Amino acid sequence: MSVRGAQVAIFGGGAKGRGIAVLALRAGYATAIIDPDPSQVVEVTARIRLALDERVSSGALAASEADAALARLRVTSDPAECREAEFVIEAIGEELEAKRALLARLAGTCRPDAVFVSSTSCLSITAIAAGTGRPERTVGMHFCDPAPLTRLVEVTRGLQASEDAFLLARALAEKLGCVTVVTQDTPGLIRDFLLVALANDSIRAYEAGRASLEDIDAAVKLGLGHAMGPFELVDAIGLDTHLAVSTALYEELKDARFSSPPLVRRLVAAGRLGRSSGRGFYTYDADGKIRRG
Amino acid sequence: MGEIRRVAVLGCGVMGAGIAQVAAQAGFQVDAWDITQQALDRGRGEIGAFLEKAIAKGKLTAGRRDAILEAITWSTALDCVARADLVIEVVVENLQVKKDLFSRLDGLAPGHAILASNTSVLPITELAAVTKRPDRVLGMHFFNPPPLMKLLEIVVGQLTSAATLAAVKGFGQAIGKTTVTAKDAPGFIVNYLFIPYLNAALDLYDRGLTSREDLDRAVEAGLGHPMGPLRLADLVGLDTHLFASEAIHRELGDARFVPPTILRRMVRAGLLGRKTGRGFYEYEATGGAGP
Repeated sequence: MSVRGAQVAIFGGGAKGRGIAVLALRAGYATAIIDPDPSQVVEVTARIRLALDERVSSGALAASEADAALARLRVTSDPAECREAEFVIEAIGEELEAKRALLARLAGTCRPDAVFVSSTSCLSITAIAAGTGRPERTVGMHFCDPAPLTRLVEVTRGLQASEDAFLLARALAEKLGCVTVVTQDTPGLIRDFLLVALANDSIRAYEAGRASLEDIDAAVKLGLGHAMGPFELVDAIGLDTHLAVSTALYEELKDARFSSPPLVRRLVAAGRLGRSSGRGFYTYDADGKIRRG
Repeated sequence: MGEIRRVAVLGCGVMGAGIAQVAAQAGFQVDAWDITQQALDRGRGEIGAFLEKAIAKGKLTAGRRDAILEAITWSTALDCVARADLVIEVVVENLQVKKDLFSRLDGLAPGHAILASNTSVLPITELAAVTKRPDRVLGMHFFNPPPLMKLLEIVVGQLTSAATLAAVKGFGQAIGKTTVTAKDAPGFIVNYLFIPYLNAALDLYDRGLTSREDLDRAVEAGLGHPMGPLRLADLVGLDTHLFASEAIHRELGDARFVPPTILRRMVRAGLLGRKTGRGFYEYEATGGAGP
């Protein structure tokens, strides 16, 4: 295989796109991040470098490997960069029409055998694929966040994807060092369906005065062995993200468990978005630790 | 409220024996009660086996084991509660059985004694109501196995006093537990969150969304749970989960607690999980699974 351009082309230089890029770079893929905003090129490159440097300082990566990984990276605003890619991964905002339009536009540029990947967490992969002009080559790969050690990827083929495209996507996830599971195209797939409902149940239990935030988190960690309590987890994911995913699931399923508890809407309206904003259910110190007492 | 020095544990199954052991290990004098001598012997056997393993691992001396075992007095006479400062009831999850026992206890235990139930699904306030000391009744929900699980859910009934809660929190700390406090609402904290979660996961599986292995792996890798839902259901026991789910549904009428149809089908088929060798997964007979 002669490789001149990127093997993996990722559209969107946000946290999700960069996270996937770091995995691809480390796995040895020539990787392009394509962001329509040219002013983002420097910023995105710097953030990827930072992410790799963090792994070097934690001892997970040798400095020479980080350098080699960076050498495989192209950050650009030119969509033509994807022309030789085996995998074209969209990691843009969660809007169905935008995702469809992007992939449909690329259909004229990309290799005919390229696999189109949507990283959507809450939209139907079948619906996205239907608007791309290449539904048989379009597969869902949900890279689950937050990813502590090993990242989970939920691979979804939708109703139209070919076996070949699906197998290639799953193999990619495995080469990226991820744990993969295969799931049908249903709202929330596996992870978010269970996570969002559990988080909303926890929030409602707190709203109803069943117990305190701290006690609910402690009970879930010590009684069920979960790595994080539900409030710590939603603060880490971001209340705005949780609200968006929950609302999307409710729209699809009309199941009351996914209707967002009023408290979440209040907190989001007040700008208390979680750990990233310094305050969500808990208040955080500058170093990201929960302030107690 | 006086200091807690002596504890009575009523019921010597795995949970009761574990609670008696935890209290004895922390230096409390313990009266362990059950209806039959056979049940007491089984409870003593459970504790002995646990401590033996700790000795084999070098975590406990034989002298310490003897001291722990000597701190427990075994009895089939309920009047052993007459010297208790705290009584922890760990009998079968049947409201009438528990109410009858609380009513008898109320007459036998000293006036200052706190009466606690280890129930995971029944209403504490209803148990308190059969006594003349509802201010000194609350829930102490331990997790299985009590010597290893750090959590103690303290359940505050409608009439439980602040002094009773404080005394039991202090006791919880003294036996090395992290205590959380919950209202007397069905499922308290852990089961209120766990049961709908498990029901939803079983329903997902029943709909053929994914394989049993992928479902478990998604939860383990994607949510950081120690065990996926199907493996966990097999460990808990499908009949046990069905019982708890139905009990809470009766109280709340909340659809999240309606047992999924796959759960009923599997229980009807006798596929109860590890204890029957087959649930969502198949298990080899270990031979050493105990009585």
